[in-house]
Amino acid sequence: MDTFLAAIHAVAWAVHVGGSITMEWVLRYAQRTMPPSQVGVVCKNAGTRYRWFALASLVAVGASGGAMFLRIDSAELMTRTGSPELSLGDSYGRTLLVLTVCWLALITTVALMAFWLHPAQRKRSSPDMTSQAIAAERLRIGRAIAHMDRALKFELVVSVISIGIGASLHAGGLF
Amino acid sequence: MPSDPDIWLHIIYGYLHDLAVATYLGGAVAMEFVLGPAQGSIPPAQAQVMGQKTSDRFLWLVWASLGIILVTGILRLEHLGRLDWTWPFFNSGLSLEHSYGRTILAMFLLWCVLVVNGSLVTFVFRPRLAGKFTPGTSAAQVTASQTAKMQAATWIQRLTRVDLAVAVVIALMGASLKWGGLI
Repeated sequence: MDTFLAAIHAVAWAVHVGGSITMEWVLRYAQRTMPPSQVGVVCKNAGTRYRWFALASLVAVGASGGAMFLRIDSAELMTRTGSPELSLGDSYGRTLLVLTVCWLALITTVALMAFWLHPAQRKRSSPDMTSQAIAAERLRIGRAIAHMDRALKFELVVSVISIGIGASLHAGGLF
Repeated sequence: MPSDPDIWLHIIYGYLHDLAVATYLGGAVAMEFVLGPAQGSIPPAQAQVMGQKTSDRFLWLVWASLGIILVTGILRLEHLGRLDWTWPFFNSGLSLEHSYGRTILAMFLLWCVLVVNGSLVTFVFRPRLAGKFTPGTSAAQVTASQTAKMQAATWIQRLTRVDLAVAVVIALMGASLKWGGLI
């Protein structure tokens, strides 16, 4: 059961982190040579799929991480390198807390992208729109794209840092 | 913060190893289930350009990840005292009598499968996809070339799916090492 939970946890983190690296490093690179109209279509399609993958993987990270936390045996923990303890007085406990905060920041960011920033990029147009309304709509979409861009970069940085924090748990923690 | 440089080395090896595995596995999932379908939403000619750009870039990630996984994997084993640089290299626990040793061997063999598949995609099937027609090419040659391209694309898709399954099995085996191995 422990192996199964650890594998689910590792695969879920991998899907999330690898996905955000690929979206930034691969998709963004490919978009540079595409016509703007097709960039929009690809962004919409890939973004819609990616947000559900990212959300599902983060939920799996939380669920498997929570289950692993509940199964931690303090006596077994003491036998590991550095004899870590599950308290805020010990580096292991503090590192676990920071990792949980990172996870919360990630799931909040991805939920914001999925339910607010991504839908906000949809163009609202009607034949009776004035030129001022069209300009305002363009400005609004531009802002939504900029917010999305920042959110994606924040998500990538936090998830890459989280991997480091998680890796340090094997050595007794980082903080 | 740990003050012992040895612990820092342990953390850095683990970090790079986990990050490389995540990049490989998560990247393969994103390529198969996110970028692949997104490619289908644009006209075929543009989709082909996008496919070439994304594959070329992703292959860099694949090879970098596979290299880092091997190097950091060896360094981690050496750091854990299970491997050294003198004959017979493998220390106690890494022999095939122990589940740990068998699991490490299986992981290494599966890593070799990923390298073979990666080589096939990079050096055999990708160049076939990149072929262009020159003026004066006959209709029969165009048809033959298109058939070859479609076959190459099908093979790349198959190999990518095999790689994905293999990477998930490797992750399961890697997770089991903390409890002494899986097989």
